[in-house]
Amino acid sequence: MKLHNSLRWLVFLLAAFAMNFPVIATVATAFKGPGEVTKNPSLWVQAPTLDNFITVFTVSDRLNIFAYLWNSAVAAMIGSILPIIVAFPIAWAMSRRSYGRAVMFPLIVNIRALPLIIFAIPLYMVYSATGLLDTRVGLGLILAIVNLPLTLMLLVNAISDIPIELEEAARVDGARLPRMLMRVVLPLCRPAFVTTFVFGFITGWNEFLFGLMLTTREAVPMTVGASFFFASSGGGVQWGVAAAVMVVAALPPLLLGLIMYRRLSGSMVAGAVKG
Amino acid sequence: MKPNRTVENAVLASPMVLFLLAMLGFPVILSLVYGFSETRFEALTSPTFNGLDNFRQVMADTSFWQAAWFSLRFGVITAILQCTLGLFLAVYLAPLIRRHSWMVAVLIIPMVVAPAMIGLMYRLVLHEFVGPLPHYLFQWFGASPAFLNGANVFKTVVVAETLQWTPFAFVLFLTAYQAIPTEMREAATVDGTRPWRMFWKIELPLMMPTLFAAVFVRFIDGFRVFDTIYTLVGPGPGGATTSMSIYIYETFLRRGEIGKAMAAAILLFLSAFLVLAVAQHLLRRRG
Repeated sequence: MKLHNSLRWLVFLLAAFAMNFPVIATVATAFKGPGEVTKNPSLWVQAPTLDNFITVFTVSDRLNIFAYLWNSAVAAMIGSILPIIVAFPIAWAMSRRSYGRAVMFPLIVNIRALPLIIFAIPLYMVYSATGLLDTRVGLGLILAIVNLPLTLMLLVNAISDIPIELEEAARVDGARLPRMLMRVVLPLCRPAFVTTFVFGFITGWNEFLFGLMLTTREAVPMTVGASFFFASSGGGVQWGVAAAVMVVAALPPLLLGLIMYRRLSGSMVAGAVKG
Repeated sequence: MKPNRTVENAVLASPMVLFLLAMLGFPVILSLVYGFSETRFEALTSPTFNGLDNFRQVMADTSFWQAAWFSLRFGVITAILQCTLGLFLAVYLAPLIRRHSWMVAVLIIPMVVAPAMIGLMYRLVLHEFVGPLPHYLFQWFGASPAFLNGANVFKTVVVAETLQWTPFAFVLFLTAYQAIPTEMREAATVDGTRPWRMFWKIELPLMMPTLFAAVFVRFIDGFRVFDTIYTLVGPGPGGATTSMSIYIYETFLRRGEIGKAMAAAILLFLSAFLVLAVAQHLLRRRG
């Protein structure tokens, strides 16, 4: 039994190391000075320095990391809150009255399985015609579509879990539907809103394809901005700086994910198994 | 009461339906218009109808079929690898995780990092001068393969994708495994069932629905892959890593062949739709 457990720990450490290897290597490189990056490619940092991070945050206008972070934050906010707002009413109708369960629900859930590139090209056309190209709102709107299927599924699940007696009691007290939704259902859905929001925010922050296609200068998100640091300007890629950028870019979803990992894994299961 | 309810439901549905129509309705019409027309970037608003020309061009393009074959292979192989590894980790580590649930958090880190970032990170990891992996391989074995050349690049992107998304399969299987009632295991243990037999005869059959769902979800994600591969190697040497998504992207933005890209996107949509319909039909029959 003892031996078995040690073996399990070994497997865990190996798996964790292998799967997190790119992250570990990037963090290590981010703390290496320009001289050490080429001389010492190992994971062990000899002379840790914050220089790379300072460089990242003081770079030129051409690579403005504050703008990238802001763009990502705004777009991911729109992309995670908007689907909750539009899906909440119909999620109630779907779970309490089975309204739209036969056609609308599977149709929307299946959006999740489609290759995103299918939407990207026609949206490029529409956006360039309506002035939404290269705007944070434009990016946020399409992220909202990306997040809509899972949002709808999680909200339908959450509402189905609310004891129907609570709703009936409110109805007996004479509350009409809008009032009942706002006063009874909405507060009880708060935990589901938080999970959905966190999930949507991480998905939105991490999205790359739409950022690449639908933005050029003003609304470039962090994922796309980070790739700019790899386009070598003259003297080749500055690996230490590039690594520091990736650490900064990956940090917000990483922190959210670590804080919320229990709920995230729960909703992932719900999303995969019901879909 | 009845008509009132119909109106009520329509009102409840309207925010989402209107949002979907606004965001996807018009683009769908545009796809169809441009898919059947010839258009250039200089004259985006004046497509000229050319019937099935775009579709004929796509069908005759060997790189389209190469991309389709790549995506199919990539999707199948990564799905199988991820589910096998994920299943093993979930079942083998479950006794430890029961006591140390933080282990799950460590193992799901790769999933919350953007796939685009993972691709960029591997550029660093695999770099022949600054990358730690070639460094250690040289130190230990005296040689390091060229990870991104034509012969190895497929394996490299498969491993990168597998290591990032095995955690997804792992979480699904762990949840399914933990949901198996303990009495069932206890009864089997009392009967003298060995662990290996217990897995094959009791646990695995109970996890079958999850296994199907996991393989399916992972296949879909592998099939439509873009970010990881694009940021790591782009279309790859000789188009070796051009997935369907990358093919359409390159056709559209790099080569400016709008009609052809649209036609390819429509074909991709139809094939995805077909796969979904078949899979859901199969799942329903089992369930």
